Amino acid sequence: MDSLFILIPIALVFCVVAIKLLLWAIDNGQYDDLDKEAWRILMDDKDAGEHDDRD
Amino acid sequence: MCCPGCEAVASLIAGTGLDAFYRLRTTVNDTPAPPAPATLYEAYDNVDAQNGFIADLDDGWRRATLLLGGVSCAACTWLIEQDLGRQPGLRAPNVSLARQTLSVDFDPAQTRPSALFHRLLALGYDPHPWHARQAAQLLDQEQRSALRQLAVAGLAMMQVGMFGIALHAGDLQGMAPEYRSLMRWVSLAIASIVVIYSARSFFRNAWVNLVHGRLVMDLPVALAIGLAYLASAWATLRNTGEVYFDSIAMFTFFLLLGRFLERQVRRREYLRQTDLQSLLPASCLRREGDDWVSVATRQIAAGDLLLIRSGDVIPADAGVASGSGAVDEAAFTGEQMPRSVGPGDSVSAGTLLSEGTLELRATAGPESSRLSVMLELLGRAGEARPTLARLADRVAARFVGTLLLVAALVAAYWSQVAPERAFWITLSVLVVSCPCALALATPTALTAATAWLRRQGMLLTGENTLEILNSITHVVFDKTGTLTQGQFRIAETRSAQPEQALALAAALEQFGRHPIARAFSAVTPARGLTQAEEIPGRGIRGHYQGTRVAVGTPEFVREIHPKLGPAPDNTAHWIALATTGEQLAWFALEDTLRSDAASVVATLKARGLHIALLTGDASPAGPALARQLGMDSGRYGASPEEKVAWIRELQQSGARVMMVGDGLNDAPVLAAADCAFAVNQATDLAKSSADGILLANSLRPLARSFTAAHRCRRIIWQNMVWALAYNGCAVPLAAAGWVPPWAAAVGMSASSLLVVLNSLRLQ
Repeated sequence: MDSLFILIPIALVFCVVAIKLLLWAIDNGQYDDLDKEAWRILMDDKDAGEHDDRD
Repeated sequence: MCCPGCEAVASLIAGTGLDAFYRLRTTVNDTPAPPAPATLYEAYDNVDAQNGFIADLDDGWRRATLLLGGVSCAACTWLIEQDLGRQPGLRAPNVSLARQTLSVDFDPAQTRPSALFHRLLALGYDPHPWHARQAAQLLDQEQRSALRQLAVAGLAMMQVGMFGIALHAGDLQGMAPEYRSLMRWVSLAIASIVVIYSARSFFRNAWVNLVHGRLVMDLPVALAIGLAYLASAWATLRNTGEVYFDSIAMFTFFLLLGRFLERQVRRREYLRQTDLQSLLPASCLRREGDDWVSVATRQIAAGDLLLIRSGDVIPADAGVASGSGAVDEAAFTGEQMPRSVGPGDSVSAGTLLSEGTLELRATAGPESSRLSVMLELLGRAGEARPTLARLADRVAARFVGTLLLVAALVAAYWSQVAPERAFWITLSVLVVSCPCALALATPTALTAATAWLRRQGMLLTGENTLEILNSITHVVFDKTGTLTQGQFRIAETRSAQPEQALALAAALEQFGRHPIARAFSAVTPARGLTQAEEIPGRGIRGHYQGTRVAVGTPEFVREIHPKLGPAPDNTAHWIALATTGEQLAWFALEDTLRSDAASVVATLKARGLHIALLTGDASPAGPALARQLGMDSGRYGASPEEKVAWIRELQQSGARVMMVGDGLNDAPVLAAADCAFAVNQATDLAKSSADGILLANSLRPLARSFTAAHRCRRIIWQNMVWALAYNGCAVPLAAAGWVPPWAAAVGMSASSLLVVLNSLRLQ
């Protein structure tokens, strides 16, 4: 159980990293347009379209 | 395909292999404008006109930011980005769906801004230069900071929740003191971040209002968070008592989430609001020396001589210098029939020249036109509209007062009787009475009802619309464009030979640009018509089989056939067709009624609402329509001022009025009503002064909005009763010292959860 004294601080470090990443993404403008990004994954981009043609 | 505009767009999309667009789109696009003349955007190739929306980049490329009209769903953004990405001289196109803007880099050596504008127009969108608005930038900053607070609270909630579970389990089955202490310290550290960073807006809001002597919902929220945090920190330091870090983080997160969603709705609407430039043309022709030169609308100044051709929107307030024509002022006055203008008359920016060619002398730049003044007034009217104080805030004021009094009494009593228990009992009282459920009762129900209505085709933008809807007694409809589709059709033909008469009239109307001409577009025109000419606002004449022929108003037709009798009756708009020797036909024209207008009016009447018609149209068609739909009352032939006065009169007699309209002329009326809805094709200005917008081309969601408002009020009522009853029962128990703080925390979470689940029933 003594391992908790090491594991919990490590978990905290991960948590801080995750928060930092998220804040960076927000400041970078990645969440400015929540309407579009939700759909982007469904849209073929140009390369994928050409790939479909070859199949 | 309904018109050449649609066809051009569809063939372009298919031709470039981007037809996946039709599979991906979730809404039907606006009908695009007919193809524009090549000169429309040339003014933007001029460096002066590029100031503000085109910026230089380091590598010689330039970045343009444009406002796009007609971007309706994510498929549009995909289509634009894919298409522009394949054009030579363009790179990194990025469309923002929320802002409706496009940013794209172009190489001035390979392409010109006007080519970019034309490409967008060809795809079916309406491009305008984008100019930063301070308010919009502020809104963006707020959005980001709200997201940051929410993100921190969310991640922290998960962490603290994990340790919370371990601590609760430890309470039940025992836990070594050193581990308990470790978890409490870690929780304290994370909760500190939540309280200091994420919850600061609650503290600030509560404090600002308190300084001004107002007790708002944020005050008990701030108190609960603050006190629970301080008590838990105290317990951690002294290694006694209970900690509530998990409750603090969860409570903060859910409250922030509710506010974030609310803010999203308002931000989206705000960003889509029109500004001046999207109502005015991009460029126009100005006299410079002996030539007509295309200049950007922003460059127009008072005194400039402008050339306006048929079909153009007038860019600035001006007087007619020469020429004659007819101006369609439907957007301003609601009058469908264009007004004839000649030298000496004045015209307003934003109106459409439907016939003729005019030379205009501008009396003011576009920035100080009547239109821009009106836009500004509207913006202010929207801010000044008395907002119903939120129910929760009203309850909160009394609730907080009582709560603090009770806590103080409890503390005083127990410090006399059992000083060592006084702190923990007082804390129990405060935690048990924590107004989480009360604070969540209204916003969760409103959010759920708004989301439901959105799926039903109604977008609510006003903050208090759902509350106001419950008190509405009168529903007032505008006629043209709201109950009707604003398109003429031939209702009746009176003639000895109706088919020949129709064909001949259609042949003449081919040369007309008046809205009436479109009523004849479905008829195959007769051949052999020559020398046709349109007389603006009156009719069309020509030569047919060796004789003169005319179609138009009775007075106009009498010029070639003086013996023409009076119109058959005055219940409809009649036009005549005659040759010099013979009267051929009378046509009755009517505006087409929306297919669901009758059923919606009937549904609203069944709810016990008084239904009225309010129209600027003075013709007998108004009363006829009101009778046909079974409306209770009507006001016909009213000017915009009279309309507002009529609404105010109703309000003074105790009525609560809901207005449904579409035009620019309706905007002041919409702002005057207690609650206003705009139909789907409404002008952007009308939309911006409305509390709700119909998303589809149907009136049906109107009736549903009343249902939603009713259910929403019932749910809020249930939530409030539950929250107050829970607090009412639990506070005396806690004051008596029978509730340990951990039980208080569990009770608090359970009652909040119940409120959230109850609100979700609205979905």
